[in-house]
Amino acid sequence: MKRNSIKLVGQSGSGLLSTGEILANALKNIGFYINTDREFPSLIKGGHSSFQVDFSTEPIRSSTSYADILIGMDEHGLKNYVDKTRKGGIVIHGFERHEKVMKLKKSVEERELKVAYLPAREIAESFGGNVLMTNMILLGLLWKILDFPLEPLEEEVKKRFASKPALLEIDLKCLHKAYESEDTPDLKIEVNKEKPETILINGNYAIGIGGIQAGVRTFYAYPMSPASSILSYLAATYHESGMLVKQAEDEITAVQMTMGAMYAGSRAFTATSGGGFDLMTESVSAAGIMECPLVVVIAQRPGPGTGLPTWTCQGDLNLAIHAGHGEYGKAVLACSDPYSAYEQIQHALNIAEKYQVPVILLSEKEIAESMQTVPRFKEDQIPIERGLTQGKDLEELKSTDRYAITDSGVSKRWIPGSTKTYFYSNSDEHWEDGVLTEEADKAGQMYEKRLKKMETMLSEFPDPIVYGEEDADISFVGWGSSKNVMLDVIEYLKSEGVKVNYLHYDYLWPLKTEKFVEFFDKNKRVCLIEGNHGGQLGQLLEDKTNKLFASKLLKFDGRAFFFDEVLEFIKANHDK
Amino acid sequence: MTNNTIETLQKNKDLYGSYESKEVITWCSGCGNYGIQNALKRAFTLENLDQKDVVLCYDIGCHGNGSDKIDAFTIHGLHGRVISLAAGVATANPKLNVIAHGGDGGTLSEGVNHLIHAIRSNYKVLFLHHNNSNYALTTGQPSSTTPLGQPMNSAPDGVYIDPLNPLDLVLSLNPGFVARTFSGDINHMTEMFRKGLNHNGFAFVEILQVCPTYSRTLTKEWYTERVRDLAENSDYDPTNLEQAKKVASEIEKEIGIGLIYHNPERKEFTDLLPNRQGVETAPVEEVKRMNIQNLLKEFE
Repeated sequence: MKRNSIKLVGQSGSGLLSTGEILANALKNIGFYINTDREFPSLIKGGHSSFQVDFSTEPIRSSTSYADILIGMDEHGLKNYVDKTRKGGIVIHGFERHEKVMKLKKSVEERELKVAYLPAREIAESFGGNVLMTNMILLGLLWKILDFPLEPLEEEVKKRFASKPALLEIDLKCLHKAYESEDTPDLKIEVNKEKPETILINGNYAIGIGGIQAGVRTFYAYPMSPASSILSYLAATYHESGMLVKQAEDEITAVQMTMGAMYAGSRAFTATSGGGFDLMTESVSAAGIMECPLVVVIAQRPGPGTGLPTWTCQGDLNLAIHAGHGEYGKAVLACSDPYSAYEQIQHALNIAEKYQVPVILLSEKEIAESMQTVPRFKEDQIPIERGLTQGKDLEELKSTDRYAITDSGVSKRWIPGSTKTYFYSNSDEHWEDGVLTEEADKAGQMYEKRLKKMETMLSEFPDPIVYGEEDADISFVGWGSSKNVMLDVIEYLKSEGVKVNYLHYDYLWPLKTEKFVEFFDKNKRVCLIEGNHGGQLGQLLEDKTNKLFASKLLKFDGRAFFFDEVLEFIKANHDK
Repeated sequence: MTNNTIETLQKNKDLYGSYESKEVITWCSGCGNYGIQNALKRAFTLENLDQKDVVLCYDIGCHGNGSDKIDAFTIHGLHGRVISLAAGVATANPKLNVIAHGGDGGTLSEGVNHLIHAIRSNYKVLFLHHNNSNYALTTGQPSSTTPLGQPMNSAPDGVYIDPLNPLDLVLSLNPGFVARTFSGDINHMTEMFRKGLNHNGFAFVEILQVCPTYSRTLTKEWYTERVRDLAENSDYDPTNLEQAKKVASEIEKEIGIGLIYHNPERKEFTDLLPNRQGVETAPVEEVKRMNIQNLLKEFE
């Protein structure tokens, strides 16, 4: 698989994001598979940001730590990122005083970089444009170097700036002017003959669409990076969906309203990041004892405290598993890419309603905010399973059915307004109709009933999935976005004659281990790949099975695993 | 209570009886909660509300121990969070009659943000504020409405911070419905609860509640001497906010009870939603798979 990467660097607020999105969409429309990655600080203007687009004629899901082409939108970006350009790669920029940037000169020589420069500001101003339009000039120059037809790029620019026709005209002049450049560095990139059926979308939007598909009618949340765009997407689409979307006054309100809505019979969920989830944990515990369905999405970012608000990690697995005081049935799921985000939110809602438990769906900034090409979402694949008593069965209900002790731990559930048969939804310990009890026998039985759901879910949850070769030279176990880099690595190394396989967990709690043990026994060198310091999933698996990982690839600096970084790890570890 | 209402109660005694519980009540004798629960059942009966259409939400505190002493759909949630929980129920199914109970600890300390934003959002919830001026279930610590100087558990030399007046706070927030009533007057409570049930929006009812065990100075007699029904004053205009604020805060000599403020112009939360104008169904009735083809176009 031939990978290509373009990295745009510049100041936050200088149009980097829209330029990156135009670029990614234009490449997609030519027929490429895309993976994007944004690095940006937690501020609105200033500070350096980057937008990387990795693309290929085959499915691509990860980023490289370097870029083939660097587009420097300002001096700071050029200086700081020039060494992230692949040796022999291309630097595109429009910085007039580049002769004075010694660092740039030195790196260009040392790394044998080709430089393509246009006096971007001058050109933009000659058309009556402003500094933001230099982005169009750099895009035009890039397109010339890539030797792609201008039309798909032009279309994207038109789409993006349709509401500002006067500016659009100048934008297009800038684009054309730069595309007419001569003597640009040569680059031949293979193009797909047929355009694949894909959509380019990020994980947060995918969760929103999954929720809409699954009949979510009420959504309550408090903004927190990197979960906020679930809220803004559901708000932006509420005229179409008719969904009731409420920005609550805090995370506790958001989770309480979500519980109240689920109790009343709506489908609802909420979304936050680790810090906001900390505030919700008492409610998660209450949902446990009240057996109230609840779905919370955690879009993870590194903690502790405010941590790195706009960066990524897999650091909150233990938080999710151990959230809330007391012991009770709870499920933890993860998603790995936009398609799985679309599916997992639907499964999370089903599990929450079927087993009447809180469900935590883990996402990551890397999934939440990075666009990726994925197959167009299929509808009607996941049935809506509500586990509600309905219709004629409502007439047969007794109040004590609500929390009746059962083998599976799951009792009947119905909603107020549907029948006279009331029950008490009680966060105090209670007996079968919800009436408070402090009797030892009843309290013990009810405590155990709720925990029986863990065994029930364990037996009914899907196993983790093995990707890659049998007889692997090196094997990995992981969850979340690690799957993306592992799939890219497996495919790439296959062509290099190195066999790699990967066991991926989408369902993390209750934790299934049979498949893991089997995987361990079949493979000679099983490593862990995880985006946190403790190797949290690894520890759980080691504790439960006594199988010890040969080595652990852990990362906790706010960045996702880079493709080349995993290759290096494999090189260093596979024949040990 | 008029003869008329007594007649209606007698006529609908089955409905009243349907809310009666066989569970053993655990409140202290003389507790204000008996009267409140009784008045609530009367109000349901007089408003002809079926058990199936009522959801009662309880905070944590002595009032919360009544959550399983009434035969109805009840939720007994977490301390300080009852307003948000009730708002979740009410927004998901506006066709239900949602009543939330909260004490002075949960409402004015732990969860005061929820109160502020519920008034602002104007969810259709009848909120009964059980103000007994102390944390009774944790054995008598002072709350933010305990009088200055009152010795309490955890304030052995007397409370040394000025108390809050809940209605001062509430009336500063452009509310739709504010009433004050007294746990010693079941008839008055019944009337206030009925008015609150008929208000389309957030109805705040402060109940001056006696606590015979821990609130030693604010006794039934103390309140009875001071409460004065605003209905007796023909000049009182509950749509006049300035007048309402005066009545709310001037409580030294006498305490005005009754409908203190009413602003029928404020729209209920669901009616404010730009995307649900004219929608007749409740969200709970709309849960089904939805077509996403249109939404996907943006990402093609």
